[in-house]
Amino acid sequence: MLLLQVLINGLLLGGLYGIMALGMSLIWGVMNIVNVAHGALIMLGAYLTFWMFSLWGIDPFVSLPLTILGLFVYGYCLQRYVLNLIVRAQLFLTLLITFGVEVVMINVARLLWSSDLRQVTPAYAAANFEVGQITIPWVRLWVFVTTLVLSVTFLFVLEHTRLGRAIRATSEELRAARLTGIPVAHIYAVTFGLGAALAGAAGGLWGMLFPITPVMGGSLTLKSFVVAVLGGLGTMMGAIVGGLVLGLTESFAGTYLGPTYPNAISFGLLVLILLLRPTGILGRRA
Amino acid sequence: MTTRPAPRRFATIAAAVVGIVLLGAAPGVLSPFMVQFVINLFMLAILAESWNIIGGFTGYASFGNVAFFGIGAYTTGVLMTKVGWPLAAALAAAGVVPMLFAALVGLPILRLKGHYFAIATLGVAETMREVVYNLEITGAGTGLVMPIARTPALFFYLMLGILIAVTLVNVWLAHSRFGYGLVAIREDEDAAAAMGIDTARYKTIAFALSGAFAGLTGGVFAYWITFIDPDAVFRVIVTIQMIIMAVFGGAGTVVGPLLGALVLASVSEILSTHLVALAELFNGVIVILVVLFMPKGLLEVVRAGRSSLRVMARNLREYRV
Repeated sequence: MLLLQVLINGLLLGGLYGIMALGMSLIWGVMNIVNVAHGALIMLGAYLTFWMFSLWGIDPFVSLPLTILGLFVYGYCLQRYVLNLIVRAQLFLTLLITFGVEVVMINVARLLWSSDLRQVTPAYAAANFEVGQITIPWVRLWVFVTTLVLSVTFLFVLEHTRLGRAIRATSEELRAARLTGIPVAHIYAVTFGLGAALAGAAGGLWGMLFPITPVMGGSLTLKSFVVAVLGGLGTMMGAIVGGLVLGLTESFAGTYLGPTYPNAISFGLLVLILLLRPTGILGRRA
Repeated sequence: MTTRPAPRRFATIAAAVVGIVLLGAAPGVLSPFMVQFVINLFMLAILAESWNIIGGFTGYASFGNVAFFGIGAYTTGVLMTKVGWPLAAALAAAGVVPMLFAALVGLPILRLKGHYFAIATLGVAETMREVVYNLEITGAGTGLVMPIARTPALFFYLMLGILIAVTLVNVWLAHSRFGYGLVAIREDEDAAAAMGIDTARYKTIAFALSGAFAGLTGGVFAYWITFIDPDAVFRVIVTIQMIIMAVFGGAGTVVGPLLGALVLASVSEILSTHLVALAELFNGVIVILVVLFMPKGLLEVVRAGRSSLRVMARNLREYRV
């Protein structure tokens, strides 16, 4: 029974990791930017939700579309007016500038919301139900369902709409896309906006399950990266599957090895994948 | 790279010696506040020069060098407070332990390239912070309180000594067969291997050297600051400072990281004396501005003289989409 409980805990958490990695994988795949500020975007989403909840009492699930919209606009502007200026430079420079963005965001968050631990706690936060001997918190279940809905919507947009085709075309060949009349600067910005929106959604949901702080993003960036690599870069389904794998790994490791080293475990996983499957991973050099 | 004419070379060495002698007299002359500032400046310059060995010469952009700094700090801390070693021995260990650690970790992760290497090093730093957070002997999350030493001059000379050593190593790299090997790896690793360079060994040695100096500085830092905890010595921002100082001054050169440290440390000191809370924010803004306007370093802009604004405008346009 414990085994099944651990399995379900892992899956429910894995959904969240999935949409985090989906955003990171999208930005990476299309623009070849490893966005170190990804965790900071998640943090921003969490605080927007927290703000709407504590100031105006808006239910976190209800405010989620607003958080998503806010992060989309933020991400769009960030790419359009800052990152687009440097996007074709060496990997090292794009990595470095997103680091700068992360530092700025964390420190602005400190000024706005202080370094205290915050949490979004709606009235139903502690409610759960039981199936046999397994306990499932309602919030976690709804968070999981939301992540699934978001993932499916996102994949649909990418695969079956004009916008999605434009994004994929730009990702394949920048110049050819421009020649066919795709406004690439705009598409890049939309892509980053979508990635940021997914991160924001993950953040809004994260705040209902775990405490949030301005520095929460660091380890989440690392995890998003791990999941994006784990599932196979560039494949969007891979990110979702990878998220579930990481969620399960953490859940099992936390139960059977002790809860002390969650980051070390996900990082160990990363090094293992990178070393055991170097082909296809090292293939993407600048 | 190029052999300078003898008189110019002599002038450079003479200037360096005079400069060092003048610096050596500084603690007696400067105000206590200035001494602290200069110690901090030396520390940042050492870190920038040590990052330069792996990131500048070898072209492996490590985003986790703070791990070596932190390990050095904790090596000194644990040896002095828990084992009772004297300062000199503890400092020596603060150089050796991170060096071995870098060599050990370097063996697998130096096989990775680009983003993968960057994130893997970042992961090493995060993991080390977590490990130290959970270990009994390092005082876990509460940290270690070091014996208090009220001798700023000691730290001044220690930092100065390490700075001279790491600068000499950089000079050596710029003029030696080994250093040329590293540059060859940076420019084209496959070609370097084809030329008969044992790339794995070269990279590992460079990484270990880089780690040794960062660790040594960490050791001095621990004793200087008298209290260390995981969040203070494994801060990601320290890695970013190393990188941006090297890049700003000119990565892969000897003088560049020194120049970068001098300019950026002064700027952030001036800004942060007025608004302490904003010091780190400024660092972030500086990173963004440097990458956008001076990705090839300050020297390129300065050399342009009166057309420097045009150079910055060109940099801004060069990589945009």
